[in-house]
Amino acid sequence: MTKVITKEDLLSWLRQLAEKYAIIAPVTSNGVTLYKSVGSSEIDKINLNFSKTELSPKNWFFPPSETLFTIVKDELPRIIPASVDREAILFGLRPCDAKGIALIDKAFLAEPADVFYQEKRDKTTLIGLACLSPCLECFCTSVGGGPADLTHLDILLTETAEGYITQATTEKGKQLLTGAPRQEKEIIPPVLPSLNLILAEGITELMPRVFNDAYWDRVADRCIHCNICAYVCPCCYCFDIRDYVSKGKIERVRSWESCQSPGFTRLAGGYDPRPTKGAHFRQRWYHKLLYFPPIFGDIKCTGCGRCVRSCPVNIDIREIITDVQRMKV
Amino acid sequence: MMSINPFIPYQATLKEVINLTPDIKLLNLELTVPELQNNFDYKPGQFAFLSAYGVGEAPFGFVSLAYRKSGIEFAVRRIGTVTAALHELEPGATIGLRGPFGNYFPLEDYKGKNIFIIGGGIGMAPLRPVINFILDHRAEYGNLLIINGARTPKDLVFANEFDTWAKAPRTQLELTVDKGDQNWKGREALVPAVVTELKPSPVNTIAITCGPPIMIRFTLAALKGLGFANNQIVTTLEQKMKCGMGKCARCNVGDKYVCKDGPVFTFEQISKFLEQY
Ligand code: SF4
Ligand code: SF4
Ligand code: FES
Repeated sequence: MTKVITKEDLLSWLRQLAEKYAIIAPVTSNGVTLYKSVGSSEIDKINLNFSKTELSPKNWFFPPSETLFTIVKDELPRIIPASVDREAILFGLRPCDAKGIALIDKAFLAEPADVFYQEKRDKTTLIGLACLSPCLECFCTSVGGGPADLTHLDILLTETAEGYITQATTEKGKQLLTGAPRQEKEIIPPVLPSLNLILAEGITELMPRVFNDAYWDRVADRCIHCNICAYVCPCCYCFDIRDYVSKGKIERVRSWESCQSPGFTRLAGGYDPRPTKGAHFRQRWYHKLLYFPPIFGDIKCTGCGRCVRSCPVNIDIREIITDVQRMKV
Repeated sequence: MMSINPFIPYQATLKEVINLTPDIKLLNLELTVPELQNNFDYKPGQFAFLSAYGVGEAPFGFVSLAYRKSGIEFAVRRIGTVTAALHELEPGATIGLRGPFGNYFPLEDYKGKNIFIIGGGIGMAPLRPVINFILDHRAEYGNLLIINGARTPKDLVFANEFDTWAKAPRTQLELTVDKGDQNWKGREALVPAVVTELKPSPVNTIAITCGPPIMIRFTLAALKGLGFANNQIVTTLEQKMKCGMGKCARCNVGDKYVCKDGPVFTFEQISKFLEQY
């Protein structure tokens, strides 16, 4: 017997939860699906059949731009730190996006923890939706994930004709599920889709030997520095910190950046230890595939394929991984 | 030691400003919270971010020694927007201070060894607390040889301490400039050439060098020419930094973060990076 929740019950449960929690869920408007905050009267707007959101859910914990603190110029500057919102439920996560969050956790929750991120993270429960019809560019199974991978979620829902199968993996998830109206049913679990495989295994070991190959300069040449790849990536987390002044109020703001931006490493005075376009471009791939793994135990890619879909010049991580495998130096 | 939220600076009062060179000022700060004043600890090699509120923040190595309790000092060279703003400040101004961050020179491990300090320009800043620490613990270290180089005599930092350094037991101070003026009677030579000329023995010696990248490159070659091994040569890497705690990825080099795993590295570590430094 399996515990399931019907679609109607799921929506009314969410409506009820929305009284206490902020609900962030996929909503489609004008053909674009994004995670949005939905109130209890807007639960019907949630798109339960979306394929993948345009932007990853990292925005919720790590907004594109956030005020770290504000200073009001009194006699002595007083620092008024940014405050945090109420508890939240991030609903309708694809398993790869949950992994994206887990990867950012590794860096941002490492000592000393990023307090701004941690506060939002601690207050959020992650409810996932298994993927039964993946997108063309999905390759999660090549990088250790899968369409019904529940490792990084609190709860996973899998759709069947009888309703959604509910699986809680964490204490937080179990607690929350106790309030959900579920029924015991005899269910045949759906067949999971199989995805195209790329050869990502062993990629970390192969990266060092192709570091000085002209390949990186050549592929970088067509990159237009739009940074879309990093912005849509569920696990890219480079950021910038700047001060802004308006009407006597000083704000310190952090915003998304990308390590492949020109000038990312340029020091005051002009010296740049990483001066070329190819070197900036290479850094992003090396951080993902070589530098991150020994520190945090995994390559920094979830297989969501958003960068593949979004890059205006068709730079494709699947191709890069495959090319590195093929380059025999 | 670090504040509960390491993104939020402590407030500090600028106590004193000393012009070290035409473009480098020594800022002496005191934290405004009294409980912190006596507990704020940091080590030679570590750094902090100083905020010129409204302009931004930038990282600077501590140039004072915490245990001397004579204020928290930084040498700030006017080179960008934040440093220009810091140069404008007068005593009494409030500055934000975040830190300490990073690793430090393992001076405990160097006990019993000869120390060879090679600094160029503002690169002498993080080396000053190393020198003063050794002088405060003179009996525990071997010979101390210091090369302090700069473009012109006016650009030599910490000139008011040269006498103290030169007169300390088993200590030799060598000054050099790229180009002297009419009063200059000392050396006119590039730092790496002075290293080769003085020929200190690598036996039981640690060389610590900080300065512009080009100076470091040739100094490294000069030291190797004298027989120094990569693990006997120590430097601080300069990288753009934003967070100081291994998050923003600005300072990432290989599987290291300069802000967290550095800024102090041996050349043995640096030689393992795929990128050239
Ligand atoms: S990459 Fe995998 S987990 Fe992500 S949306 Fe596609 S099938 Fe689902
Ligand atoms: S999306 Fe493509 S063009 Fe834009 S920065 Fe990334 S690789 Fe370059
Ligand atoms: S300064 Fe942000 S990671 Fe080092």
